[in-house]
Amino acid sequence: MRRLSAIVARSVREPLLFQRLRWRQLRNATRGVWRDAPLRLPTIVLCSGVVWIGVFGVSLAGFRYVERWIPFNGDIIGMVFNLMFLLLAGLLLFSSAIILYGSLFSSAESAFLLSSPAKADQVFAYKFQTAVAYSSWAFVLLGSPILLGFGIQAKVDWPFYALLPLFFLGYVLLPGSLGALICLLVVNLVPKRRKQVLVLAILAALVVIGVSAYQVVVTAQTHRADREMLNRLLDPFRFAQSPLCPSRWMASGLIRAGRGDFKTALYYLGLVWSNGLFFYVVVSWLARRLYRRGYNRLATGSSLRRRYGGGWLDGGLTSLVGFLDPQTRLLLVKDFRTFRREPSQWAQILILTALMSLYFLNMRRFFSEDIRWAYRNGISLLNLCATGLLLSAYTGRFIYPMVSLEGRKFWILGLLPLRRERIVWGKFMFSATGGVAIAAFLVLLSDWKLEIPPTGVLLHVLTVTVLAAGLSGLSVGLGACLPNFRETDPSKIAVGLGGTLNLLAGLVFLILAIALMAGPWHWSAAQSDEPPSGFSDFSWTFVAQASLGLLLGAAAVVFPLRAGARALQRMEF
Amino acid sequence: MIELEQVSKSYGLKTAVDGLSLRIEAGELFAFLGPNGAGKTTTIKMICGLLFPSSGRIKVGGFDMRTEGDRARQLLSYVPDQPFLYEKLTGREFLQFIADMYALPPDLGREQMAHVIDLFALREFVDDLTESYSHGMRQRTVFAAALLHQPRVLVVDEPTVGLDPKSVRELKDLLRKESKRGVTVFLSTHSLDIAQELADRIGVVANGRLIGCGTLDTLRKQTELQGSLEDVFLKLTEETTSPTRDLAAADPK
Repeated sequence: MRRLSAIVARSVREPLLFQRLRWRQLRNATRGVWRDAPLRLPTIVLCSGVVWIGVFGVSLAGFRYVERWIPFNGDIIGMVFNLMFLLLAGLLLFSSAIILYGSLFSSAESAFLLSSPAKADQVFAYKFQTAVAYSSWAFVLLGSPILLGFGIQAKVDWPFYALLPLFFLGYVLLPGSLGALICLLVVNLVPKRRKQVLVLAILAALVVIGVSAYQVVVTAQTHRADREMLNRLLDPFRFAQSPLCPSRWMASGLIRAGRGDFKTALYYLGLVWSNGLFFYVVVSWLARRLYRRGYNRLATGSSLRRRYGGGWLDGGLTSLVGFLDPQTRLLLVKDFRTFRREPSQWAQILILTALMSLYFLNMRRFFSEDIRWAYRNGISLLNLCATGLLLSAYTGRFIYPMVSLEGRKFWILGLLPLRRERIVWGKFMFSATGGVAIAAFLVLLSDWKLEIPPTGVLLHVLTVTVLAAGLSGLSVGLGACLPNFRETDPSKIAVGLGGTLNLLAGLVFLILAIALMAGPWHWSAAQSDEPPSGFSDFSWTFVAQASLGLLLGAAAVVFPLRAGARALQRMEF
Repeated sequence: MIELEQVSKSYGLKTAVDGLSLRIEAGELFAFLGPNGAGKTTTIKMICGLLFPSSGRIKVGGFDMRTEGDRARQLLSYVPDQPFLYEKLTGREFLQFIADMYALPPDLGREQMAHVIDLFALREFVDDLTESYSHGMRQRTVFAAALLHQPRVLVVDEPTVGLDPKSVRELKDLLRKESKRGVTVFLSTHSLDIAQELADRIGVVANGRLIGCGTLDTLRKQTELQGSLEDVFLKLTEETTSPTRDLAAADPK
């Protein structure tokens, strides 16, 4: 009896201990942010608020439109909710699995906790809650305005709004638990092949999404808006309407709650929670048995020597930048080699670039007839802006932190027989080379699909070259002027004071450059119903304004880099 | 208090620890020496239960680390070469967390916290966030946390790295005092002076194998040398080890 009561006391004490730990860290971190960067929290809240309001506005307008103009809107809303919750569940599953993997098996905290008396399942539970909280904030940020928009449009009763957070909380348990289960099983069963498993899973998901999206678009284009078309649209997603599918429970429960059928809604709520809790209990039970085992397998499953290849990539880049002086070339190749050996760095850019390419390749399909020139003109300008924003994200997230990440290793570069300004120019060349390659590819793809005349294409390519160079100059220069050598996480460096300044400066530069270089041509092209042929629309005005843009780009390169080089010269380590 | 029975550990095809058998009694200060890559950190991690042996058995305080690890870890404190602190906790909050983790009764916890804060001179900075601590401050805080619950086994990996001479002296006094109190101290270090000065027995490992174990006199007899521990160590490891690159491959940290 005493042993049982001791076990029960411990079962309560340890979870409370971890909750207290989490609360204290959050409280201290928040106090620190208020003290050191008082604008950061309000900025985050404001930006989140803007996104929330935007999604809410679009959702409300969308539900109103559907109710007013679309037949079978009840079925459509049900389908939309099904798909929305299915997609969100998929995202939650992936992100929980990935975050948990890093948190459970790679972090210094795990080693500390596993060598303490804390039970493995309690450590797992603590990490699981953190991972699910991180994964689900986007779920809440995007899902809540959509459902609130539905509630307002459908004029639901107040219990609907009270049930919303309960549905959300219950729903995140299920995909979160499945993600945790996958993480534990992969680490325990195939520790040497975990990266291959991840890549295969991502590829499989992309194929499924791509095929489904293609079928939907083709169906919408080739059928009249009738019940048969609706059925064809729903065909690829029939599995999501199965009574065994959790997204169906969510959709059905919320729609029933919206209709005032709270008894049935509570039934579905119970279904969501009971299954979520069941899977959580299963995965906790497994964690007690598999977590330490998996930790050991991961630590010892690989061979001692990791072989790194890709020398041919470095050789290719060396040839590409052969015009640079040897020292700058070496620094550029060094940065490229460290960049490509961190998949967490380039994978994000690769995914964004792939998604944008997919969109550019298929954008014509969204129109039932051929797009008029006015729309093509506008869409090409929007695509140029989107490419510019991608460049801004790339330089802000990866290039700005580069000098800071040299951190304690800077003594290596600082002691070399090279002028410190070469370091700055080396990073600039690395960033600009990659940026121009990605941006030029995207803009050429977009202009080819939209059949933009040669003058426009030329201006677009020139514009993205200036954008790549200017944003790189700003990011490297500001990164050298405002380094943060104490921080080793690039995402934290990017959201600091200097990173925020860099972001704002980059956005202003982006707007000015596009307005100066591409804006006049698009404005002129919009005055006509037909696209110009060849270079017939060539004008010295465009040349003059493009030259101004070039000057702006040069200023964005030279001044920040010189300031950055001066800052590095004066720096002490 | 610490027993290793024919313990081996492999990383893929490489054997990091090979047939290691040791028995360390309560109150003994055991120094564990070896070149880089010899298997010291792997052995330490197995003693603490972070890694499992590929074969053999490890017991701490009579508890098998594999089957009764939670009970063994209740008796153990581990101070790694790169100690972990929660950046967003103050030193006091971290100590409180440790006290709660080891289920110290509140009164005893408060008393012990006051004691270790005085012992390690933490008072000046114990209420600051640990992210602002220097290396020496971190080391002192981690040691304070390690001794808070009065462990019976203290496992320490390379504790003197980055410490100034005064701190090293304080550390030596501390380890000597703990050992005299009956705590089993398992110390891995590259500092042969400290090992020679403090250790009751010394174990020398190379290429994952225990190539010498005993008092300094025992090791001198083994190597037929009358010199310092440094001379004995170099003789033992020269006789046993292959070229440097194989040593580096044997035991990843």
